[in-house]
Amino acid sequence: MSQTPLIAGDFLSLLNEHKLPPFRSEISASAPIETQATTVFAFHFSEGILMAGDRRATAGNVIVTDRVDKVIEIDATSLLAIAGVPATAFEMARVLQTSFEYYRRSQLQPLSLSAKVRALARLLRDNLPMTMQGVGIVVPLFAGLDHSVAPPKPQVYFYDPLGAQFQAVGYAASGSGSGTIRSILSFQEQHGKPRPSQMNLRDAIQFALRLLMTASEFDSATGGVNPATETFATIKVLRSTGVETITEQQQREFLKS
Amino acid sequence: MTEEPYRWLEAVGNRREYVREQLKGGSPVFAASLPDGILLLGVGGGQSKVFELFDRHALAGLGHPADIEKIRQAAIDAAHVEAFTRAPEDVSLRRLVSFGLSPQLKTNFEQIFSAPFLVELLLVEIGSAPDHDLLFRLHFDGSFQSQFGGIAIAASQPDAESAAKKWLSETAKGKGSRNEIADLLLQAWWCLIANKSFESVPSEEERRKGWRESVQEKTVELGWLSRKTPRPARYEPLTLAQLNL
Repeated sequence: MSQTPLIAGDFLSLLNEHKLPPFRSEISASAPIETQATTVFAFHFSEGILMAGDRRATAGNVIVTDRVDKVIEIDATSLLAIAGVPATAFEMARVLQTSFEYYRRSQLQPLSLSAKVRALARLLRDNLPMTMQGVGIVVPLFAGLDHSVAPPKPQVYFYDPLGAQFQAVGYAASGSGSGTIRSILSFQEQHGKPRPSQMNLRDAIQFALRLLMTASEFDSATGGVNPATETFATIKVLRSTGVETITEQQQREFLKS
Repeated sequence: MTEEPYRWLEAVGNRREYVREQLKGGSPVFAASLPDGILLLGVGGGQSKVFELFDRHALAGLGHPADIEKIRQAAIDAAHVEAFTRAPEDVSLRRLVSFGLSPQLKTNFEQIFSAPFLVELLLVEIGSAPDHDLLFRLHFDGSFQSQFGGIAIAASQPDAESAAKKWLSETAKGKGSRNEIADLLLQAWWCLIANKSFESVPSEEERRKGWRESVQEKTVELGWLSRKTPRPARYEPLTLAQLNL
């Protein structure tokens, strides 16, 4: 952790003067290297929202697996994309899956999009102690259907590690490869023909796969896409009718065309 | 004052009569195990009778809406706690009924100073094949019968219920599509509510005309647990229009 900048006379300076640093500066040598998952993104296209992620998980400079699913179907109309520590993120997904389905079945109506977005924010806030300790950080994306309009409209939200939620107008990305992906999405949104929001399903899937291929060239923690090794992305589409999973077979065909 | 044992027996007997009397006008509910899933059917006059419980589980019942609601909530709570504690695959209908709902119904029925549950229920669990579908018939006193596959009915009159089940099981042979079976269940429903004998059932035309006329002021509720969907939650509500009926 970088040295905390000190202001003369403030509380941190006082603690520092007495050799009581408020933040632990070194992680214990015996602590395991935590597994991290990157890279995920979502953007609006002509039929709804496409949410995708590579399938790599790393621990330091070790590739743990190239087969992790980071885009998770929470219920028939909600998607969660995880970047950060899978141990925490998968548990958050499980809590959300159970609580959304429990509400829908017991109340005989689905939970509102606002409540779903806040439920994830609350889980992130509850995870704050772990985040502050430098372990268990999760920075997810969430997509859901807004049922307050007809037909229901897919929306994307992104979060900060403390749980603040922001609605994405066109796109959102998270994880170590997100810088590259955001740059390309921003360029495509402003100058692309077609723009992501105008793409049909075929174009959107091809675009998503190429985004991951590009991100993997600049970020070793991003797994990328390689048909030769049967490595594809996790891609899910959220329309006003619900979630559809784009299979590896479909991705292979879209890449060929 | 000392209560003699026979008074308790008498009280329980009276409760049984009271519950049966209260349930007499109840509209029967049905469950049928088909090649592609389980179809549940109920006809209500403003109250819901068919419900999703969990990923592979559903319930249909007749009786007092408040009592059905209490049991529905209890079953949903138990299933979700089990799924969260262990895994969704570990939620089993056998456990849910025999360790959860049945003992509670029995206890409640035999506590003669509290109101009994006014319910007759069907609970179903979809399996990998029709032979693995589990159908439970749960009674207001906590007693239950289970069967794999086939057709199950919950009606207020035991004799009529078993006659209808026998007739349906024979008539449904060779029929596998949802709309054929739904039509047949509605015919049986009409025969039950119109007090028609299953020894000499009216003609098919009359039965079909009968159910169509009888459901005009009511709501036909159809629930479908699909064997083929890739989603964990297998349940979806259906309408008669979706089945071309």
